[in-house]
Amino acid sequence: MKAREALGLIITILSLLIFAYEILYVGLTTGRIGVKGDVTNDAILISAGFLLIILGPALWLGEVPTNLKKLVEAKTGRKLS
Amino acid sequence: MDATPVILILVVTLAIYGLAYVFYGKKILEKKVARASPDRVTPAFEKFDGIDYVPANKYVLYGHHFASIAGAGPIVGPALAMVWGWGLPLIWVLFGNIFIGAVHDYLAIMASVRHGGVSIMSISENLMGRKAKYIFLAYVWFALVLVLAAFFSVASSTFVGTPTAATISVLFMPIALFFGLLVYRTGLSVKKGTVVALILLILAFFYSLNVPLHLTYEAWVVVLSLYSIVAAALPVWYLLQPRDYINAYLLWAFVALAIIGALFSFNYTFTGPIYTSFAGPGTLIGALAGTSTGRASIAYFWPTVPLVIACGALSGFHSVVGSGTTSKQLSSELDAMLVGYGGMLTEGAVSSLAVITPIALAWNFAALASATGLPVSEALLKAGINTTATPIITGLGGVDRFTVGYGLEQAVAWSRIFGPAVFESTFLTFRTFAAWALTGFVLTTLDTSNRLARFAWRELFDWLKPRNELAYKVITNRWVASVISVILGAIMAYPKIEVYIPELNKTTVVYAYSIVWPAFAGTNQLLAALALLTAALWAYAIQKVRGGTSLLIMIPALFLWITVTAGLIWWLYAVVPGLPPLYQIGAGTVVAISVVLDFLLIGLFVTGLRRARS
Repeated sequence: MKAREALGLIITILSLLIFAYEILYVGLTTGRIGVKGDVTNDAILISAGFLLIILGPALWLGEVPTNLKKLVEAKTGRKLS
Repeated sequence: MDATPVILILVVTLAIYGLAYVFYGKKILEKKVARASPDRVTPAFEKFDGIDYVPANKYVLYGHHFASIAGAGPIVGPALAMVWGWGLPLIWVLFGNIFIGAVHDYLAIMASVRHGGVSIMSISENLMGRKAKYIFLAYVWFALVLVLAAFFSVASSTFVGTPTAATISVLFMPIALFFGLLVYRTGLSVKKGTVVALILLILAFFYSLNVPLHLTYEAWVVVLSLYSIVAAALPVWYLLQPRDYINAYLLWAFVALAIIGALFSFNYTFTGPIYTSFAGPGTLIGALAGTSTGRASIAYFWPTVPLVIACGALSGFHSVVGSGTTSKQLSSELDAMLVGYGGMLTEGAVSSLAVITPIALAWNFAALASATGLPVSEALLKAGINTTATPIITGLGGVDRFTVGYGLEQAVAWSRIFGPAVFESTFLTFRTFAAWALTGFVLTTLDTSNRLARFAWRELFDWLKPRNELAYKVITNRWVASVISVILGAIMAYPKIEVYIPELNKTTVVYAYSIVWPAFAGTNQLLAALALLTAALWAYAIQKVRGGTSLLIMIPALFLWITVTAGLIWWLYAVVPGLPPLYQIGAGTVVAISVVLDFLLIGLFVTGLRRARS
């Protein structure tokens, strides 16, 4: 596994843990995430999780999917690196 | 009040859209003008880079295109246009949609596909010269930065005002990503992946109804700015395609529910007037209500209608999307009809069936209560609307007109099935759903705008490539280009400025971007007129389309140009003097510059047309 992919995997796991904590624990026990008119730790945490969950899998699994590559190669006849 | 049955408008509207798609779209535009062929290799394959040039399934691309072009415009514009009654806005939406908007979108995609996926602005170089290209590109890039600023602000305000909409938006992204990974990585079929994603989405929907997510306006601007940078730089197959595909289901559900609502209200008649006046009093001229001032004491239906109703009938932003993200993902030229022409008709259906029809039905609250026997006033009171103080729907702001109209139509329909006991609860639920749908449109537009700004930025600097390739690479790097546009947009969305409003005789606080935002309605529609003229010239000069078919494109293009130019001049004369001084400088200057550019570009168009004829 390359360093970039390992970093992506760590970010993905971290963001999933943040989501699980905020959505399943904080959200369900208090009925809300954050406090109106304020920037609370919970709100910061889920915002960070929201950004990290987009970035993490992109680094971890970021290569162009094989089936997409094959489709392009079949249509154009050129070999993709 | 008039006696037009809801069902009549529903049937006529759907029939017109169906006929337009088959007879004008497929038989004329696809076969005679673009002469689309499944055998031509599209730029998505030819220039495949795994990031922006990536072939997409036509339904996925339809979802992307539809979700990107449908900002707040198809909703807020027609709601504001009800000042003229419901008849004129409906006619404009149908006419504009079929003969201008959908043609403009389809031809922008096809012209771009035939030019290697470059923007309609760059295509103008071949038809109108190099000057036209760079003027056009700079103009569009600035407009996109303005869109970013406005949408950062609108989305942040919506999330603060409706925190449950923030929860569903935050949950939506991982679900869409998960769907994309299931389909692309595990090889799961799109159908099965869709089922999994929709189940998760429904669970997220009910969760969000009960768990609001609170942040401040300023914090949302920062979060959305970071999101916009990341989302616009990532490969389209990873986030944009799956997200917009799933998002399209929300939007289809929104339109389908509007049709169901109209079907179950079949024997009720509109409680609103078909026509009030050709000169509407106190009309707000701008793409988004509530974000800025820009009110005309009298607004004549012509030439101001395209400045009030944007995306539902036609919008210049669509040509940037069509020749930006869409053309780079088109798998086959034959897909462009569904994606471009069909996508625009669907957006028209949002305006006609999900905005104009419900508002026309719910216009007079007392009349609606009397016709249906339902507790309309009591339900509205629960939503904070007193029907004694506000007896008709046009007494509400643009967004409220839409959410209340949509909610009431749904409540009337579902009360028919489950009885009057559900009226109040369904009204409140569907009013929230309508607000969510509006946010859904806004968020997708946000990161697509940044990706488009990046494309425009790259094309704007193509002259640098042969002179200094390293500098070109640095300046047009996808992360650098994304960050520049977002920082400028956020700078305009973040700070507050104190402005004196003479008509209210008080000082109010506004966000910086709103100083120039009132101009956006005009500049966006001017872009539509110029893009349609470019597409018409492409059909004439490159495709060699002649006779009646050519006129079918050229006449609406010239009509639009005359209308928008007259509208801009009227705006300078009638709206600018009433604006606060700071707005006069900001918005007034932008419109004045736009008028100058307008005449410069029409001159280049005429030269290009003469050259093509000779």
